This record gives sequence, C-alpha cells and structure tokens, in this order.
Amino acid sequence: MSGPGLQTTAAERTRERGAELLRLALIFGLPAVFIVIPLVTFLIYSFWRVEDGQLVREFGLGNYVEFLRSDSYRFVFGRTLFMSLQVTAINLVLGYAAALFISQRRGRTKYLMVLALIVPLLMSYIIKIYAMRGLLGTNGQLNQLLMAIGLLSEPSDLFLFNLTAVRITLSVVLLPFMILPIFVALERIPASFLHASADLGASPWQTFRLVTLPMSLPGAVAGAMFCYVLASGDFLAPELVGGTRGFTYGRAVFSQFGMAFNWPFGAALSVILLGVAMSVILLAGRLARSRWADR
Amino acid sequence: MGRPVSLVRRSLLARLTGRRLVASSLGAVTGFVFLALYAPILLVAVLSFFRLRRGKILWDSFSFQWYAELLSNRQLAEALTSSLVVGFFSVLVTLVLATLMAFYTDRQDTRWTLALRFVIFLPFLLPPIITGLSLLVFFKEIGLSRGLITVIIGHSVFVLALVYQTILTRLQALSRTLVEASQDLGATRWQTVRFVLLPNLRMALVTASLLAFALSFDETMITLFLVGDNATLPVRLYAMMRVGFTPEINALVTLILLFSTLLTIGIARFVGRDAGAQVGL
Repeated sequence: MSGPGLQTTAAERTRERGAELLRLALIFGLPAVFIVIPLVTFLIYSFWRVEDGQLVREFGLGNYVEFLRSDSYRFVFGRTLFMSLQVTAINLVLGYAAALFISQRRGRTKYLMVLALIVPLLMSYIIKIYAMRGLLGTNGQLNQLLMAIGLLSEPSDLFLFNLTAVRITLSVVLLPFMILPIFVALERIPASFLHASADLGASPWQTFRLVTLPMSLPGAVAGAMFCYVLASGDFLAPELVGGTRGFTYGRAVFSQFGMAFNWPFGAALSVILLGVAMSVILLAGRLARSRWADR
Repeated sequence: MGRPVSLVRRSLLARLTGRRLVASSLGAVTGFVFLALYAPILLVAVLSFFRLRRGKILWDSFSFQWYAELLSNRQLAEALTSSLVVGFFSVLVTLVLATLMAFYTDRQDTRWTLALRFVIFLPFLLPPIITGLSLLVFFKEIGLSRGLITVIIGHSVFVLALVYQTILTRLQALSRTLVEASQDLGATRWQTVRFVLLPNLRMALVTASLLAFALSFDETMITLFLVGDNATLPVRLYAMMRVGFTPEINALVTLILLFSTLLTIGIARFVGRDAGAQVGL
C-alpha cells in the first residue's frame, strides 16, 4: 500500500509549496522591489553628490547644507508652503459649503451632483491646467468677461504667468479632492442625530455647530490633507501657468532632473518635501482621530 | 397680547429668511464651484470648432478642420498607441497582483499584512513627484533604460492601491459562508477561487480595471520622469502645450475629455450595479 498514492501526494505537496512560495514572492517581493527599494535608493541618493558631472557615491550632508544656506531655495520653499496653505484655506471654505449644499439635496439631483464632481477628478490633470491657462490669459475669457461687465477697461495680465495664476489653477483642480471627503463625512451623519437635535430645541445653527460640524471634521481634515500635499508637490501647474514669476518648489526639484542635472541635490530637495508631506499626513491622521472621533 | 405674538412672528420670520439666506448662499457657492470646474473645459470644447483672432471667437468659422488635422498627425497617433499599450499592461499587472494581495490579506491583520497595506498605499498618498523620482533613480541604478516598460511599472505602482482596495472591499462584503460551503463540498482552494470567489468579484474587477485604465491614461507627473522616446499622450500634450496654443490641441483635448467622461460614467454605472448586487445578495 505504500506505493504510488502516497508519492503523488508528496509530489503534489511539493508543487503546492512551490506555488505558495511564488505567491508570497509576488505579494511581498514586488512591492518591496518597486516601492520600498526605490524610496530607499532615493533617500541614499540625497546624501551623494555630483562633481564635474560625475556621481560621487559618498555619504555627506552637503546637499542639505546647501539648501539651508541658499536664500533663494529657502525663499521658494517657504513661499510654496504658504501658497499651498492659501489654496487649502480657500478650498476648505468653498468645498465645505458645496459639500454641505450637495449633501442636503435628495435622490437624483444629489447623485448627479456627486457624479459631476467625480468626472473632473478622472479628467486629465494636464488638460485641466491647459484649460485654465486659456481662461486666465491676457486674451482669455476671464479678461473678456471682466471687461464686458465694466470691471476692467483693458485686458490685464494679472491672472497669468504669476503666482496668482498658480493659486487659482491649483484651487480649481484640487476642489474635488476637498469636496468629496467632506461630502462622504456629512453623508455618514445619521439623520436621527439631526432630528434629535432639532427635537431637543436646538436652532439650525446650533445643530450645525454642535452636531454636523464636529462630525464632518474628519472629512474636512482628509480633504485639507489631500489639497495641501498635492499643492505643495505640484510642478505641472506652476510650469504651465506660473511663468517666471510663479516659480515654486516643485519646479525647483523638477529642474534638477532636467537642465541642472544635479540628481542628488534634487533628491535632497524632494526628501525635504517628503518630510513635509509625511508630517501633514501624520498630523491629519492624529487630528481626524483624537479630538473629534471620540466624542 | 398683540405685542408678544408679533414679536414671535417677527423672530420666526427673521429665522426663516436667515435660513433661506444661508441655503441660497450655499447654493451660490456650489454654483460657483461647478462653474469653476466646468467653464474652462467647456470653453476649450467650444473653441475647438472655431478660429480665434486676438482671443475673440469668430463665430462664423465653425468647422471640423482641427479634428481633421488631428487625423494626419503621426506623432499623436504614436502617442495614443503608447498610452493604450501602457494602460493595457498596467491594468493586467495590477489586476493579477491586487487580486492575489486581496485574497492574501482578507480578514488577516498580522503585522505583515498591515505593513503590506501601508507600502501599497505609499505611492498613492505621496506627492507623485516623489514616486516618479524614486523610480527614476532606482531604474538608473539597476541600469534599466527609460521606455514603455518603466512607464508601465510606474503606473502599476501608482494604481495598485486603488485596484487592491476596490477588490478587497468587495471580497470583505462577500459572506464567509460561501467559502466554507465550497470547502465543505470538497472543493480545493483553487476550485473555490475559480468557481466561487472570482465570479462574485467580476463587477469589482471590471470597476477596478476601468478605474486603473482611466488613471493610467491620464497620468502625467510620474510618467514625465520615466518616459523614454515613446511619449504617452499626456506627455506629448505637455510638450505641445509648452510651446503654446494651437486649435489642434483644443480638438484633441475635447476628444480626450469626452473619452474620460464616458469612462467615468461607465465606472459609476458599474459601481452602482455592483452596490445593487450586494444589496441583492
């Protein structure tokens, strides 16, 4: 009885173990190779340097020191972070109002409005920026509109190729990222909570301040996080609508990998950006969890 | 007696008008938001049919001229092919990988699965410029030259999290008893996957594919770092846009917008049907 039956199960077992190993290699190996290792390589790169067009693979803090010493890089860095804060603040106000309005609609209207928010989200990013550039230019439709209603007597170049253009463009393209998380948070508030609040004699304003606002805050935090992280690292919008006056940190990084060809310095600049992004994500996580969710 | 009543009435009236004021200003903001999101895009679409002189639309110049000129643009046709190839392979790679990962991590919160989830979501959460740069540096170090393969890897890394989450969400909604019943009836693990789980995941797989394809088709920031000579469509567009405006771009942009709008509505319908199927289960 010892024969073939047992042997096949042994062979099967080996084959199954082989398949299991392959599966684990795919599941854990591929993300390790294509996500973790590149990020680590990138971090290491930021400590190397370029001399006479040659990469010198030696550890050193030179790139970071250069960033701290350079007034212009520090200035662009600060300006970009501040601009991202402005964009986030504007979008928080606009986005919250819109999300609140949409969440109060019913049935089909609500569904269509949400769909109308998702459609631009999946539209090509670069096309949206291009469309904004057409709108904002000296010959653009914004200028024509302002002239038609008499606010301007001649076309203004205020709206294109400067930081204002970058602010407006980023605000518009990032709006859905702000509205959708807030909307989702608002939708999760049980209607019974709002009824209970009204039954207990709270005015609509009190209900909003004491029930709706605190319960939707995690959504607002998530939206603000998306907005800030994406705005601070963006280089396409400034590149296309910023002109020379709208230079941002993202462009500074990008240029190191193009014309300037100083990859280690570019890596160091983006590690600093990564630090900002990580802190914002962690801060958002803490804000969304600790203070409001416990109530 | 008359005085208090009128006072009450007045405050009620004030409250009602106040409420209406709030509602209408919220509505106004929402209207402005939709205007800001759609006006630029619609303008491009309108402009693609007309000629411009100093920014003014010549209304009597309606034609399909710019669309016709697109057809003869070889570079754009090549870029479109690259985009389709990249989209197809990115979807294929992420579907297989994300399905394996979803099966493995479903209802398992070990330290390893949590770490895996964290790593998958990194490229999605970090600014795209970081993902693009880290892959660029990595490919340089291992000596893989830039081309469609590097772009496919970049896109796969970027969309993996969304595909994984879509499949996992559906998997977790499936009743555990389905798997148990299948096992009790003597099915092997592979048979359970093949005949029980995959059919139930079909809608999620379709949704995830569409979503991944849409994201890959539009991805620009990561692609710019990884692309070689075969530019994808957004990269080619970026190069054209840096030079300036041409009505041809407007025509092309209109077509792409139409395509991604249809894709989004398709996804929304699938998601809706999938949700319906879940309720029906």
